[in-house]
Amino acid sequence: MRKTIVVAACAALALTGSGCSGTGGAASAGSSCDGKIDGKRTISTFYHGGGAEKKTFLNVVKDFNASQDQVTVKVQSVPEGTYNDAVQAAAASDKLPDVLDFDGPNLYNYAWNGDLIPLQECLKDSTRKDLLPSIVEQGTYNDKLYGVGAFDSGIVLYAYKSALKKVGARIPTGTDNAWTAGEFTDILGKLQKAGYARPLDMHMWYGRQGEWFSYAFSPIVQSAGGDLINRDGYKTAAGALDKPEVVKAMKTFQSWYAQKYVDTEAQDDTPFLKRTSPIAWNGMWAYKNGYKKAAGDDLAVIPLPDFGTGSKTGMGSWQFGITRKAEDPDAAAAFLEYLLTKKSQLTMYQAVGAPPSTTTALKATDIYAAGGPMSLVTDSLNKAPKVAVPRPQTPAYPAITQAFSQAIDDISLGRDVSAALKKAVDTIDQDIKDNDGYPTQ
Amino acid sequence: MSHTTLASPAQGAEPPPTTAVPPRTTTKASRRGRLAAALFSAPAVLLLALFLIFPFVSAVVLSLTNQRLSSPLPVEFTGLENYQRIFTDPEFWRSFGNNTLFAVIVVPVQTAAALALAVLVNRRLPLRLFFRTVYFLPTVTVMAVAAVVWKVLLLPDSGLVNGVLGTLSFGHLQPGWLSSTSWAMPAIVLTSVWQGVGFQMVIFLAGLQAIPASLYEAARVDGANAWQQFRHVTLPGLRNTLVFVINVTAIFAFRLFDQVYMMPQFPGGPTDSTRTMMLQLLQTGYTRRMIGQASAIAVVFFLFVLVVTLVQRRLGREERAVR
Repeated sequence: MRKTIVVAACAALALTGSGCSGTGGAASAGSSCDGKIDGKRTISTFYHGGGAEKKTFLNVVKDFNASQDQVTVKVQSVPEGTYNDAVQAAAASDKLPDVLDFDGPNLYNYAWNGDLIPLQECLKDSTRKDLLPSIVEQGTYNDKLYGVGAFDSGIVLYAYKSALKKVGARIPTGTDNAWTAGEFTDILGKLQKAGYARPLDMHMWYGRQGEWFSYAFSPIVQSAGGDLINRDGYKTAAGALDKPEVVKAMKTFQSWYAQKYVDTEAQDDTPFLKRTSPIAWNGMWAYKNGYKKAAGDDLAVIPLPDFGTGSKTGMGSWQFGITRKAEDPDAAAAFLEYLLTKKSQLTMYQAVGAPPSTTTALKATDIYAAGGPMSLVTDSLNKAPKVAVPRPQTPAYPAITQAFSQAIDDISLGRDVSAALKKAVDTIDQDIKDNDGYPTQ
Repeated sequence: MSHTTLASPAQGAEPPPTTAVPPRTTTKASRRGRLAAALFSAPAVLLLALFLIFPFVSAVVLSLTNQRLSSPLPVEFTGLENYQRIFTDPEFWRSFGNNTLFAVIVVPVQTAAALALAVLVNRRLPLRLFFRTVYFLPTVTVMAVAAVVWKVLLLPDSGLVNGVLGTLSFGHLQPGWLSSTSWAMPAIVLTSVWQGVGFQMVIFLAGLQAIPASLYEAARVDGANAWQQFRHVTLPGLRNTLVFVINVTAIFAFRLFDQVYMMPQFPGGPTDSTRTMMLQLLQTGYTRRMIGQASAIAVVFFLFVLVVTLVQRRLGREERAVR
């Protein structure tokens, strides 16, 4: 009888697409690149972006489809907030597209799952050599390259020079002379007294579901000398995320909310653009997306505050990989090659305002090249992992980012800092234990 | 919210009186009748098995394993560990508490509001049809859309609700609805009642129209005023409808999901003050990729709702016996 039930259950599961043996061939390796595209191919890709970014991407796809007659790319849009959930569900039901775009650090989990195939044989040597070292590092799991980013990234503080002058604050010029956390808190207080009710926009409205919290606020943890996980073996977050130094830094972070320095009710970029919040904690994309236009020469680009071991920042962005479902990986590789051409890179740069991922394209940009107004980001990337810190390169990342985002949310709302961090550590460690320590496949 | 589940409690609310079963005789005709019955019920039974029974059985089986959403590791039988984890997880109890709180507020409020609206639009008022349609409109709206609209209405600085509240209270009462731990749940309750009340109103309306007008005439002849008529004619006449409406509202209340997922900045936030069992289930299964544990939550949820429903039906029956 019991057997019948199990069989029935498996049958029911098969209908919903899961199956009863592991996860339906997830571990089976896909085909690999052989250097030639067999006949005409139509390949599919997921895409996360919206707005101008998506429009530009679709144009690049159109150009690619027109540039040759062998491969046609079809784009399927998936909302960004729950993108990882959608990919995991697609993987479980064996419905992955040929090409997948994903927020960088999820790569390690997908690669571990066997959802992605290595790209070594797929990309030309010249293309791979042109990639920024930071892009290669983030795309590598278990010594194999699984993903290539179309661009890299970084977080900075944007501020109105005039507002800072009003309260007598110095303006740091590079990561070497960044504000200390205490100095920064002090400036926020002075700005509030000077009439800015909520002087800081932390962009909480980017949504707490995507990567923003982990991407933007883990530099605080790292600057304090901690990390989201102990990177030596990636077996536990204890001793890294719950260090006393991290607790102290997070208490400072919490005080910005408790003192009402942060505009928590913002729904868009209005606070900075209308100068009600003269300091914004934001990604490099904001420079080209309105900030420079609004502030003109009054705009200062400043490194994130130093919580003890130097100013840190985030890096990495969305990447493209080829899934095990690709029947002809060479067709998918042709598309990736096209995305990495200087022409496509600069088109994306114009729309997104992000530092391109190849050396050739990066040199051709006006704001990221040496001496440019956003060269702070380029400098930080060049000093990776000392300044720009890659997010943890482990298959446990989806669990880490979820636990850390939850902790940030709790802390910003006034919950006990040590308890929130302890809870995150427990959640992360439990996940690692549940997956037998994510043994290398 | 799908309304397909309504069919079974609706029929079950008032079972047909079971008269004495005629003595069994295996005649040809009755055998043919049984065959016909089996044939007619086959499609429904098949669909029920496919979409209700099989998934539930598979949930029970999965809840005893460490099945993951997608992983190269083999699936192992873990016994009752998933259940043990759920019951020792403060987050689960928090969501359980929130669900209960929500149900305790929403069931009486929504039922009373629906009844009031139904009585109102049952009168021979001018534009009666227009008002019935207006009150019913939110029900036609998809919950997700209603949630987004209310999110905008409840914005602290530029929202309509706070605009009105601010004017009425001279700027003293302007809560940050969805970002405050004490106001988030009331905001969700408000949205839910607004969206759900029309549906219950229509059911009450049908019940009201089934009460014979002669009863009201008799009451008036006896000198009963409006309140007495409502108390002693309308309410007893609506008893079965009332039992059904409370039952369905309670089930819907425990299924609370769309609103808590879409309205706060972080699903279930701020600081878990709107976390519900359904959200917990989704996040365990998808975001945390633990299908086994999520299945255990589903099983616990099912048993809990079953118990609530049985208790309510029991109470409903007793009321009927008194009559």
